[in-house]
Amino acid sequence: MSEEEQQLPAGLIGFQDELARIREAIAAFESGEKLDIAIIAEPFAGRTTFLNAIEQIATRKTVKLSFSSVITDRNEISFPPGAGEIVLCDNCHFLYRRTIGGFKHLDEFLTAVVTSEHLVITTWNVYSWRYLKEVCAIDKFFPITIRLPQFSAAALKELILSDYAENELEFEDDSTPEEKRIITRQPISFTVRNKILAIPFFHIDFARIKAMFSRKEGTKKTEDIIFEKIGRIAGGNPGVAKLLWEKSLQYPVIKPSFVKECPLKVELDYHESFLLSLILSMDALTEPELYEISDESEVETMLHRLLRQRLIVEEHGYYKLDPEALSCIVSALKKTGVIW
Amino acid sequence: MVETDLVDVPLKTIDPGTVLSAILIILLAYLLTRVIAYLLTWLAERAGGRRITVKMLLPLLKFIIYGVAVYFILASVLQLSSTQLVAFSGVLGAVLGFGLKDLFANIVGGLVISVEQPYQIGDKVRIGGYYGEVTDIGIRATRLVTPDDNLVSAPNYLIFNQAVASASSGTPEMMVVIDLFIDPDSDAGTGLEILKEAVVTSRYVYISRKYPYTVLLQDFPYYRRLRAKAYVHDLRHEFEFMSEVTRRAWREFEQQGIQAPRAPIMGELQTGNKPEAGADSTQSTTTNKI
Repeated sequence: MSEEEQQLPAGLIGFQDELARIREAIAAFESGEKLDIAIIAEPFAGRTTFLNAIEQIATRKTVKLSFSSVITDRNEISFPPGAGEIVLCDNCHFLYRRTIGGFKHLDEFLTAVVTSEHLVITTWNVYSWRYLKEVCAIDKFFPITIRLPQFSAAALKELILSDYAENELEFEDDSTPEEKRIITRQPISFTVRNKILAIPFFHIDFARIKAMFSRKEGTKKTEDIIFEKIGRIAGGNPGVAKLLWEKSLQYPVIKPSFVKECPLKVELDYHESFLLSLILSMDALTEPELYEISDESEVETMLHRLLRQRLIVEEHGYYKLDPEALSCIVSALKKTGVIW
Repeated sequence: MVETDLVDVPLKTIDPGTVLSAILIILLAYLLTRVIAYLLTWLAERAGGRRITVKMLLPLLKFIIYGVAVYFILASVLQLSSTQLVAFSGVLGAVLGFGLKDLFANIVGGLVISVEQPYQIGDKVRIGGYYGEVTDIGIRATRLVTPDDNLVSAPNYLIFNQAVASASSGTPEMMVVIDLFIDPDSDAGTGLEILKEAVVTSRYVYISRKYPYTVLLQDFPYYRRLRAKAYVHDLRHEFEFMSEVTRRAWREFEQQGIQAPRAPIMGELQTGNKPEAGADSTQSTTTNKI
């Protein structure tokens, strides 16, 4: 592959390895091999950004289907006639509803994927994907599965600072000893059979230990401390990290103490957990959709409780997760077993 | 010498102070087990899927604490020599053999349950005709809470002479079987599909490669049985899961024109949602695992 091909599209930071795999799949399609792709990621992790980048590097004509709410009309999922094009389908988790009779459009879509002669590249919410993988073996329809990775602190720094000029911002050190910890949580990510596995692990700051013994100050820059903190709170999620940055920055100054830890204590009963898991899996749902899917009679009351706990937000009639609460929500829902 | 020692033991060493010390040790052991039980239960309830793993430590810890307490009473308080200990054990053996054999059998049964773990705290089990969640494995008995919220104390020795069925065997996931009965003239294929979707969309279901689900159809003379087998991710949701799937499936059956079995002409079976499994005729079983 040439250097020009290896270059990232404008505006895209990170995802180099993932984009390389897309390029390989497109190249294979050029030579007659159709390997449909599923891109899966958490909410706010950059699915749409990544799909837009694919649109830029595509060597064939592309057709984009972007779903923004639960699909009710079969015509919304019709593929273009003919063959040889690249069909980009964003937010495919809107093709199903977790209810009796709610898989009809998804089944039609999957049939269209396997029977079409286009290369189909899809994006999915990771929690919907895991559910559909167990319930209807959806992974069998997509020979290539790409899980968008968590961003490291360095990648988050590059992503966030790309919006600012050099020396535009002032990083001031007011970090507490706790933020200068010798041992910090840092998951190790590696790829096994096209899947990214993240194993919880600890990073030991040997430089700090050395500095302690030599009675010298630590060498870690203030900005590194800030981005490490943002990365830890955001769980490596670029969308959440950007939002956290915007909330923390007091332009042009930012200090470690400006970055607030997630103060949420998630207290949910089982029914609220299930309702929240539906919003987590689908990105955005309206109240009538939640009534229908959850089959609960007290959806309105439960939504108010979730809003009051600042776990969700309401925008134009759609209930969405509050990005800041994402990691707290995932952790709480995993404990209750409503997400797999 | 042995005889002299035996006679000397109660006279020389067992005074009010000794008795008080022994009582104090037993009291401390009891309080310690209560505190540990409380802490482990608190921890287990916050451990999500690892609830049962945490709770399984409890019976073993109880036996260790009480064992140490007994040892302290015999060795430190009564200050028995090794010869006296042997003699005491003989006497204890005779007492247990004649008078307290049931209690002893329960204690041994409790030890076997702790080590062999035929069931654990948090499991749903059937012991001695009772079905429920194991809430405690004590020195003498296992406590179950039945679905009707009755507390049942089943003696531990029952594991030696009765079969014990554990539905979850140490994991919070548990298989639940749901039977629905439909009229033989109704569309069984649609019924199976509805039941399958009612199961996989349930809020309580847990599906993975290790915990798959199955939907089966079987013909009987006057009805067809649709059977779903699936796991709940917490065995405490067993009955809610059954109820939710049944309710949602029947609501959809009614919309699709699938009916409950009618009363047979000869009156062998009554109309109902769950007749007794009678004589099978033709059996056509379909496994539907998507």
